[in-house]
Amino acid sequence: MARTGNKNIQAKLVVLGDMGTGKTSLVLRFVKGQFHDYEESTIGAAFFTQVLSLPDAAIKFDVWDTAGQERYHSLAPMYYRGAAAAIVVYDITNMDSFERGKKWVQQLQRHGNASMVVALVANKSDLESNRVVENEEGERYAKENHLLFFEASAKTAHNVNELFYEIAKAVAVASLNQQSGMKLQRRPDDLGRRLFCCSS
Amino acid sequence: MENKRVDDHEIQTTVPVRVDRFGFVKHEQNPPEALMSSKSASEYEREERRIRKWRKMIGVGGSDWKHYVRRKPHVVKRRIRKGIPDCLRGLVWQLISGSRDLLLMNPGVYEQLVIYETSASELDIIRDISRTFPSHVFFQQRHGPGQRSLYNVLKAYSVFDRDVGYVQGMGFIAGLLLLYMSEEDAFWLLVALLKGAVHSPMEGLYLAGLPLVQQYLFQFDHLVKEQLPKLGEHFAQEMINPSMYASQWFITVFSYSFPFHLAIRIWDVFLYEGVKIVFKVGLALLKYCHDDLVKLPFEKLIHGLRNFPEDALNPDVLLPLAYSIKVSKSLEDLKQEYEKQTAKTVEGLVKQEKQQP
Repeated sequence: MARTGNKNIQAKLVVLGDMGTGKTSLVLRFVKGQFHDYEESTIGAAFFTQVLSLPDAAIKFDVWDTAGQERYHSLAPMYYRGAAAAIVVYDITNMDSFERGKKWVQQLQRHGNASMVVALVANKSDLESNRVVENEEGERYAKENHLLFFEASAKTAHNVNELFYEIAKAVAVASLNQQSGMKLQRRPDDLGRRLFCCSS
Repeated sequence: MENKRVDDHEIQTTVPVRVDRFGFVKHEQNPPEALMSSKSASEYEREERRIRKWRKMIGVGGSDWKHYVRRKPHVVKRRIRKGIPDCLRGLVWQLISGSRDLLLMNPGVYEQLVIYETSASELDIIRDISRTFPSHVFFQQRHGPGQRSLYNVLKAYSVFDRDVGYVQGMGFIAGLLLLYMSEEDAFWLLVALLKGAVHSPMEGLYLAGLPLVQQYLFQFDHLVKEQLPKLGEHFAQEMINPSMYASQWFITVFSYSFPFHLAIRIWDVFLYEGVKIVFKVGLALLKYCHDDLVKLPFEKLIHGLRNFPEDALNPDVLLPLAYSIKVSKSLEDLKQEYEKQTAKTVEGLVKQEKQQP
């Protein structure tokens, strides 16, 4: 798939965040370049794949796009378990969604992989006139918690490719460290092998 | 229906929207509409005869129905499995689900719930309203009659049962019902299902922790291993479990992301025979695609399990296959096994807690 000498990295990516923040829309913008004003609510979870090429590696993302409502919380662990990266989405026009996003971050810090790349995304940047979560607030929180941070808009495509590109870069670095540090094995009891699989 | 309501800013089109026979907007690639579009005269006559038979069975306004079901339950079952005529579907659904009785026993209750009560779920419901069947003309118009009635039914239910409230997924069930009956009728059918008027209650699908979803997935997982061992083994190797593809089958009873003409046929049987049919249809889908699925690696497998080929989704092929699969006995055994297991886990947790001072 990638040129000779380049690495193929397979990475599981989970998308979390409150309902209606635009998780599916961000993923569809990235995977298909499409946007719908009224994207059907996600029930359970949806699955997508997309390959992103970096100068010296190709990252294949297995994307789990989850249902946002609090009630579905109990299903989430199986999607973020063994994930190499997570995107936590909130909606800049909705303060509750920012608070909910923080809760997801905390949960990932407590229960996710130590090496997981986490990005906080302030979505719907096109709705500036309805903004209630200031850019600085999100940025500060991300900084304090060592997260990648992007204000983005799935609708206008603002920062969407950048977001996935930066995640891919960070995942590539993490996978290198991981490789030199320890041997990855198939762990049939969870989805461990989805963390990284490399072939050179 | 061809004379659609164009939304102010949603569908950016000036040409008339083309919809299929159920009111869903047609995409460029033609869906399998050829099935029904051009009926021959003899087919048309057969359909007419079928409707006459059904009318006789129902009686005026449902007056003969109960009597008929008591006398000839097998005839009813057989006819329902062949599909309820679309023009009688809404009425028959209310009769077989027990919702008609609930409606008659509770005059004025629905109105009370809609008008006078407030619900903690209102914001959640609003956020999902335009995202429920967004490609159906009835639900497309912002604040139009479709969206308003969907909101009312969901809000009323969230007040009626505050433990359940509103859970994503219920909208697709309510939406499907609203295409066949009034708001109040749809509300009582939702009550009949969740509270278990005829079959075992569905509310566990939506309660905190989604306990019934967990149980059904456990049962389904074991049924696959039992009935399709080769595929079950392949799933295990690829680390695929049913929560990756089947949770929405149970949560929405196939009303989400399945072709509508198939969904309503499943609903005919679901309302009369209960949740068994969801397991049977799920297994039938796997069985039909078995030889392809066993060859696929992880990603393609997940994709395949979420995008079944058109021929597999033809109700006249899939449903007979589903009827041929027997699950009752296994379901009962697996339910007991699941209950034993969860009881053990709870016990373990309690013990752990006791040990920690």
